[in-house]
Amino acid sequence: MSESGINRRDFLKVLGLGGSSLALTGCGNTDIRSGDEVIMPNVQPEDFVVPGLSVYYASTCRQCGSACGVMGRVREGRVLKMEGNPASRISGGKICGLGQAAVQVQYNPDRLTQPMMKVGSSLQPISWDKAMALLDEKTGPKSGIKGEEFGFLTGAMSGHLNVLTQNYMESLDSRNHYVYEALSPAISLAANRRVYGVDQPRLHFDKAKLIVSFGADFLGTGASPVHFAAEYAKFRKAPRGTLVQIEPKMTMTGGNADRWIAIIPGTEGVFALGIANQLLKHSEFTGTVPADIVDLVSKYDADTVSRITGVRSELVGHVASLLWEKTPSLVISGASVEGHAHGVQNAVAVQLLNQILGNVGKTIDGQAQSPFPQLSPAAGSFSALKAMNEKMGADEFKAVFIHGANPVFTAPSFMGFRDNLRKVPFKVAFVNALDETAEECDLVLPIFTAVEEFGSNVAWYQPEGVEITIQQPLMNQLYPDTRSMGDIMLNLVKARKADEYKAWPDFFSYLKTAIINIKPVVKYTDTDEHFWYDTLSNGVIHVDGAPQQVSAKFAATDLRLPASANAQDPVYPFYLVPSERHYFRDGRHANCGWLQESPDPMTTIVWDSWAEIHPKTAASMGIKEGDWLEIASQNGMLKVKAYVFPGIHPDAISIPLGQGHESLGRYAKGVGVNPFRILNPVFEKDTGELALYGTRVSVRKTGNSEIVVKDEGPVNTQMGRKLVVTLPADVAQLSKEI
Amino acid sequence: MVNTYEETEVAVEKKFVKKEHDINADIEWAKINKDILRSLERPRAIFWVIFVASFALFMVGVSCEVYQYQTGLGVANLDNPHVWGLYVATFIWWIGMGHSGTLLSALLHIMHADWRKPIYRYSEAMTTFTLLTAAMFVLVHLGRIWQFYYVVAYPNERWTWPNFQSPLVWDATAIGTYLTSSLIFLYIGMIPDLAICRDNAIGFRKKIYLFLSLGWMGTDRQWANFRVTYLTLACFLMPLAVSVHSIVSTDFAASQQPGYHITSFPPYFVAGAIYSGLAVIITLFIVLRYTFRFEEYMTIPILEKLAKLTFAAAMVWTYLNLIEYASTWYGNDMYAKQALIYRATGNFAPFWWMMNFLGSVLPFALAFKKVRTNIPVMLVLSILLNFGMWLERWMIISPTLAHGIYPWTWDHDQWPSFVQWGIVAGSFGWFNMLFMLYCKIFPSISMYEVKEMLYERRSFKTKKVAEEVSNPELAVEGGLAS
Amino acid sequence: MSITNLLNNWSFYRQKRPFRGQYDLNKQYSEYKWAMALDLDICTGCNACTTACYAENNLPVVGKERYQHGYAMHWIRIERYWDENMGEFPESGTSFLPMMCQQCEEAPCETVCPVGATNHTNDGLNSQNYHRCIGSRYCSVNCPYKVRYFNFWNYPSTAWPSPLQDQLNPDLTVRTKGVMEKCTFCVQRLNEAKSRARTEYRLVKDGEVVPACVQACPTNAITFGNIVDPKSKVAKMWKNQQVDLYKDEQEKDSSMRGYRILEDLRPFPSVMYMERVRDMEA
Repeated sequence: MSESGINRRDFLKVLGLGGSSLALTGCGNTDIRSGDEVIMPNVQPEDFVVPGLSVYYASTCRQCGSACGVMGRVREGRVLKMEGNPASRISGGKICGLGQAAVQVQYNPDRLTQPMMKVGSSLQPISWDKAMALLDEKTGPKSGIKGEEFGFLTGAMSGHLNVLTQNYMESLDSRNHYVYEALSPAISLAANRRVYGVDQPRLHFDKAKLIVSFGADFLGTGASPVHFAAEYAKFRKAPRGTLVQIEPKMTMTGGNADRWIAIIPGTEGVFALGIANQLLKHSEFTGTVPADIVDLVSKYDADTVSRITGVRSELVGHVASLLWEKTPSLVISGASVEGHAHGVQNAVAVQLLNQILGNVGKTIDGQAQSPFPQLSPAAGSFSALKAMNEKMGADEFKAVFIHGANPVFTAPSFMGFRDNLRKVPFKVAFVNALDETAEECDLVLPIFTAVEEFGSNVAWYQPEGVEITIQQPLMNQLYPDTRSMGDIMLNLVKARKADEYKAWPDFFSYLKTAIINIKPVVKYTDTDEHFWYDTLSNGVIHVDGAPQQVSAKFAATDLRLPASANAQDPVYPFYLVPSERHYFRDGRHANCGWLQESPDPMTTIVWDSWAEIHPKTAASMGIKEGDWLEIASQNGMLKVKAYVFPGIHPDAISIPLGQGHESLGRYAKGVGVNPFRILNPVFEKDTGELALYGTRVSVRKTGNSEIVVKDEGPVNTQMGRKLVVTLPADVAQLSKEI
Repeated sequence: MVNTYEETEVAVEKKFVKKEHDINADIEWAKINKDILRSLERPRAIFWVIFVASFALFMVGVSCEVYQYQTGLGVANLDNPHVWGLYVATFIWWIGMGHSGTLLSALLHIMHADWRKPIYRYSEAMTTFTLLTAAMFVLVHLGRIWQFYYVVAYPNERWTWPNFQSPLVWDATAIGTYLTSSLIFLYIGMIPDLAICRDNAIGFRKKIYLFLSLGWMGTDRQWANFRVTYLTLACFLMPLAVSVHSIVSTDFAASQQPGYHITSFPPYFVAGAIYSGLAVIITLFIVLRYTFRFEEYMTIPILEKLAKLTFAAAMVWTYLNLIEYASTWYGNDMYAKQALIYRATGNFAPFWWMMNFLGSVLPFALAFKKVRTNIPVMLVLSILLNFGMWLERWMIISPTLAHGIYPWTWDHDQWPSFVQWGIVAGSFGWFNMLFMLYCKIFPSISMYEVKEMLYERRSFKTKKVAEEVSNPELAVEGGLAS
Repeated sequence: MSITNLLNNWSFYRQKRPFRGQYDLNKQYSEYKWAMALDLDICTGCNACTTACYAENNLPVVGKERYQHGYAMHWIRIERYWDENMGEFPESGTSFLPMMCQQCEEAPCETVCPVGATNHTNDGLNSQNYHRCIGSRYCSVNCPYKVRYFNFWNYPSTAWPSPLQDQLNPDLTVRTKGVMEKCTFCVQRLNEAKSRARTEYRLVKDGEVVPACVQACPTNAITFGNIVDPKSKVAKMWKNQQVDLYKDEQEKDSSMRGYRILEDLRPFPSVMYMERVRDMEA
């Protein structure tokens, strides 16, 4: 390392390993050969292809933020299929449908295959040389751009690409790195920090006998669905745990609940406090919370709760008695609890139950401390987008980069994001396909997909210890005119800090050095090269770490819920529930045929958007399935077909997110509607996050009607046949089963 | 063509069969030849109208099939699990119609019901062409039409056989056998008439008829052999015809699909087949009578007899139909009962009720002599009865596939596309075209058998000199005899 | 001539299935019988299996309009049923049912295929020979589960716009218009595993090979294996649940959850489902 001329501390920081509490025992092997000499799967396919034989390479799924370890099945140099990597504690060898669709992102017929530059109002292809020259001219060292004039908007990122990005921002002396996720967990993290002092406690589903989930669709969306599904399976094995789900619209998790309770959106906290009130009447729970909270909670008797939440009053006591009977239990909250102006309070109120029941420390504890905080993920937030939007609106930016986010699609129309983006003189998007945001940019650079790219990832939710999942290319680049985002970032950093990074010709060698430097931490004793290849073939590096102890603390001020959460609105009588589809999320992968054709689990609808409406409401308004409805908020109107759905509160209308693209490709364009557009400017008051569930809407029947395309037939019950048989839990003897 | 052998035959016959005034016994034998051979020369103009219209319809069907062949069966609007539609329904319908021709001819021949004589020839021809039309539907219906021969049991280098367990293989075999036998039956019955044609034809047609008449000279030995062969074939065809439609019904009865899986299907299908076949014989009777000026031979009393037979068949069919409903209703098969209720109340209900009306209620009109003897009414009625029978086939196929055992895949919204309708329409064109061509090329009334019939009538008549009154029913409007 | 072949094999094919001794390790007929056990209590209805099947078996994406017409080619589909006597809300959740070809022993589809394109393989699968299929669709008519999917359109020309065809699995074909297709238990994987085992003079080990749906399932709701091998997990589960492959009516404890769907029709399916459990007190 001596010839690089930088000191050790900087070196570690450069590699994303700074701040490590563990001493590295040496700089290790710096003898990095150039990438094309190293035995890398499919970097040189002709050497390693055995015709007719499939080879499996470990990598990381980048379709969502869970960072599941996956295996790619490769044959004749083509990746054919994604499968779970059993070495990964997150995926446990399993994979969801969204993860499988990574190959459809790779082979997408609408992928961007060459750089594009805006000429007039349209994007025209240009060469990489010209594109990079333009990039250098506008943002390079000679452009004289100042840090505050430059903004970088990314999706949530982790690992070494994040390190490079941070280092690049630092080299520019810019603080404008905006990490934005349209469906960010920011409110949940804020509530967790307030209660437990950590971002994300670890949840032990398998240890719980009862899970009471307030709108947490942990099986479908959320922090780590594949991992939680496996945990859920353990929870359902003998002794079988009971799941109670309380939410305004039945999610996939709700569909699996033993008891599903419909509730007015935003009143979940009240319901939780109502349960707390019942529980605190039991003598063994006295003293679990401070007196002022007992005081506050005592206002919530069953009838009050029932009046506010719209839930039958006996259910308050019923859930409380379940919680009292079945210990340990686990109470969790999800997006429909948090997406309100009082989202943090709501979530804290839910967590209060865990404290009363003594679950903290039993089914809830902390995650292990990562020895590499630099690699940890930067969770996205809406407030980042808001901040960037304001600066763009004030003409403060000369150039912005956008990578891993599609804000033009996901930003609500009240923000005027598209107009503000247009004010920026130079906008660069790094994309796989032309999305709505890229269409607005001046320079669009086609980058590698996740299966062509090297990288490292650290998941936001870690089941055990810390798992660094290694992303290795599963095939050679499909199009010659695409480039690695890692290479681009490295070159950008090099342009400003050539000395520090000159040892690495490309991102691959940078990553290799960085990974090899982790070797001492995991106490690997063989050579560096062996470590590197072992790591690649394993796909994951496990860093053991004891879980942090967490304890909960509550302040009565955090539990002051607004009394008017269920206020009547004569113009907009319905609560809009913009539901997150488990394979669509914020819509970034909507252009995959498999995902479009994968039926929504609850409605079985494909290729479309729909509005879920309760049969009672539908009957009172004369609405039948397939009727076109106009769903209007103060900020816009959507025309969408009705789907009469019993699993929704009669006062709520649910429209799934992720559809309604104006761009992105043939499978996504023009399919469905985009509920992000009509959201009202309601913000969570503590965090400034957008309150996703805070929008009220009106519903109007247009009189037209069209068939809803779904897998479900004309009937939705079993019509007396013995297809799915239900056995009462007290009859079943799961313990006798194998 | 005087034959002493005939007389003894007639003498035996008289003991069993009551002779009626169904044909003018005084027609000259030479006139019979002249009248019938004239149908090969100059029919009424309506012939060409029918022929051209049929050809046009046929071309519609051909273009639909070409489109379907190129694109896939999806253009027919069939879908999963509603995989069968009008093709199979219409196939059964055509097959069914084919039954009456040969069955009627053979059965009545064996029963010595000699009123069959003026009408059996075209009925047999009808059978042959309906079978050809039905076979066409088998092909049209296949997903990979170019490999239809896999169904046929033929020795081949792949050492593969069809699956002999499959009712479809029985079908293919039964239909193949029936088609061959019917063709032979038709042809053998035609030989004496072909000889007449040969004797009267000139030019290239003479050569054709010469070849086809197989050197028929009308010798005693030839007549004796002819009679034995014809009777043998008739005896063979009787059970064959019954078996063919029974086998077709096993396509359904042997499957698990509710609404198909019904024990009474074989007789039900045979009854339906005879029913629709008789109806189409009436339709063709009226068409031929007018087109080829056969008024003297295809007389009202024969039509009336046909109508009575149709009525009987309709009642048998109705009975078996009600048995099907009753056994389903009172049975313990939830799936079949739900399917039945769906047929009566679901999307297909109008057609189902129409089918029951046309098939079971409308035939009661035949109880009235005024109806039976009114030619325009009978034309409309016979077409309606046949439409009812077509609906029956469709109501077996579609509603049950739409509403089977498995509720998740119920598929109520399926409706045949223009391709299916086009091919069904094309099949009418194809049938009519072939049938009309046949009637133009071959004598569609058996000349020699009509002569036999007349001979018999005359010998009968001479014994009833006193009652020599002209039968008003025999009056023929615009006929050549008047 | 082939008649010899026919007569020699006829008695075997004409056997009423399943018969005892058809599958056993002493290899009278076959030492393999692939079977499944599917736990409906932990199936979450997430559709990962469906997508895995699309990826593994080259299933075409048919598009919205064709999906509406019922042309979806999902070999495994997730059905979602509401309770029949549901009140205002589905308070005990919903019922998910993954439904794929049940690989029946006495398969209704096999007997009716005119050309024998669908056959019983020696290892108990319900094979579908695309090359032999002429598209009479009789098998689909006779399938009580309606899990057979017909190629009504020529999907190879439309479903994989370039370069999507690069994803296709070369271990099996892409089906053209006019043939029937259905779940095969990923027979390409099974055959590969069987030949690998044969070259090593052994039987396929339990868990050595699983279909794509089983492999993907995040909750491990599906267990797959060789039911002939008494040590395999699937055989143990069938035995534990007191479900007998050879019976059409099971005599089992009411606390046991195993059952086969539409067993009363006597198709003898190879998939055992395990009843959904609901805590009625919750």
